[in-house]
Amino acid sequence: MGAPDRSAPGRAPDSPAAPAPRSRTSRRRRRGGIKHDLFGYLLLTPILAVMALVLALPLVQAVLTSLRDERVIGSPSETVGFDTYLIILQDPAFWDALGRSGLWLLLNLAVQTVLAFGTALLLQRQGWWARTARVWVVLPWVIPTVAVAVIWQWMLNSNYGVITHAFAAIGIDLGSPFSDPGIALITVILVNSWHWFPLAAVVIYGALATVPVSVLEAAKVDGANAWQTFWAVTFPILQPVLFALGLVGSLWSFNVLDTILLTTGGGPAGATTTMPMYVYETAFDAFRSSQAAAASVLTVLVLGVAAALFVRFLRPKGSP
Amino acid sequence: MTWSSGLRRVPAGLTMVLITLIALGPIYWVVVSAFKTPQEIIRPTPTLWPQTWTTHNFSRLLETTPYTTYLSNSLLVALGTTVLTVVLAVCAAYGLYRLEVPGSGMIAGLILVAFMIPGTLLIVPLYGILSDIGLINSLAGLILVNVAFTAPFCTWLLRGFIMSVPKEIDEAAAIDGAGPVRTMFQIVLPLMAPGLATAVVYSFVFAWTEYVYATQFILDDRLHTLPIGLSAIVGQYTIDWGLVMAGTVFTILPTLILFIVAGRYFVGGLITGANKT
Repeated sequence: MGAPDRSAPGRAPDSPAAPAPRSRTSRRRRRGGIKHDLFGYLLLTPILAVMALVLALPLVQAVLTSLRDERVIGSPSETVGFDTYLIILQDPAFWDALGRSGLWLLLNLAVQTVLAFGTALLLQRQGWWARTARVWVVLPWVIPTVAVAVIWQWMLNSNYGVITHAFAAIGIDLGSPFSDPGIALITVILVNSWHWFPLAAVVIYGALATVPVSVLEAAKVDGANAWQTFWAVTFPILQPVLFALGLVGSLWSFNVLDTILLTTGGGPAGATTTMPMYVYETAFDAFRSSQAAAASVLTVLVLGVAAALFVRFLRPKGSP
Repeated sequence: MTWSSGLRRVPAGLTMVLITLIALGPIYWVVVSAFKTPQEIIRPTPTLWPQTWTTHNFSRLLETTPYTTYLSNSLLVALGTTVLTVVLAVCAAYGLYRLEVPGSGMIAGLILVAFMIPGTLLIVPLYGILSDIGLINSLAGLILVNVAFTAPFCTWLLRGFIMSVPKEIDEAAAIDGAGPVRTMFQIVLPLMAPGLATAVVYSFVFAWTEYVYATQFILDDRLHTLPIGLSAIVGQYTIDWGLVMAGTVFTILPTLILFIVAGRYFVGGLITGANKT
């Protein structure tokens, strides 16, 4: 520990005549030359090849299909330009689905944020509960969506469901939550939130662990209450992680298809038909490939604009 | 002491009970139900603990459904996806965040966009492409599709881990005469073990739970994965809750085992990843 270091007391004159120590710290990273770069590109080739084949090529094909009037997949069709888009834009069901997706996104975000933050704060504590919970709390996420759908349909079954019975005991008749148009959407949102909140909880818990204890104690000494400490100290440190989580989580949430497909299939009477469900039904039930493609392209555009606005206005300072 | 200790007036104990009930309650319920007799399962007043334990539901599942076929298909797909994802993601992350080849900023951006593409949009065109290259109705095709969704996310996940390995190590290795390949595999990779564990768990869980592509791209019943098999049991025997419960338990069991073994590494891995974001 007694080794001499740069912060030695003898206040060094900031003279330009002492460049030696500076050049050590600001040394530019040496580029490795052609061999180095070739190796790098070789490493990148496999993932780019897979992405080109499975993501980029289908994306281009979807755009081309949206400019045609294809019905059953693979059937003969003609190029009709933007006519298909006009059909979609005049379809009230498209706008309903878009609005429902907005609601789906906001409610999923709200429910999962509350559950995930609550869980993350508890995971931080000492004791056996937090220690074991760090392992089991992720279980709802590792269960296949099919099983999630079965479990909740079973627990909410109007005849034998344990939750139905619990609510009946306190005088509330749940009926059949998945087939009641009034509450079907919120029911599926709650089921989806149950499936996904553990992942967010673990990420937030990880971010909370990066908040230095000394800063928190300093805030306490200065007389800040928990609320002030959170907004002044914790939140700014969490912001980059919350930003990434918010962006990725919102897009993943918006694109959820399986939970809806496996519980209500978009029903009853379209009450749970969000945008992915609308695209799926248009392609596979109504056999209108081009219209499904056009709706998808429009959705991607909406998502792109929303994501750009999110990045523009909510990006924390100094993050890439 | 953390800032949450300032919230000590919030009844934390109550919240713990609530979170436990929310996260584990449904899992507990399906597991005990699977051990009940069919009569007890549909009894008007649910029993919190089976009055008579029976493994009859499980033996019926193994006798009347091709569960073991589904299981081996799912294992193949999940393991194949995991191995390929880890290889691709490690290579990509090393090239992008360690070697920093020219244009890596743009490629990293492309990879970020990739894991946000709506999967529903790709079903129809992907079906055609997989048919053209002979990978429709094949587990290899399913693995390929899974990898396209998991590898970009895992590349992003590994960023923090690669950056946490000091650059000086590379330089020291170069001075000792190690080439770039040896530096990568023998020096940097072992130091990234927690990151690799995180990528393994994420891609395994993704492939294990994936439903939409598995139902669209696999036509042959003998090639179906567990989620498809389970949904077939649900559809086929809607009233037979005993069979459905047993099927559900057997579908979630393998990931439960994986998590009991590797769960702590996963949570730890995500934390390191977040630290370096």
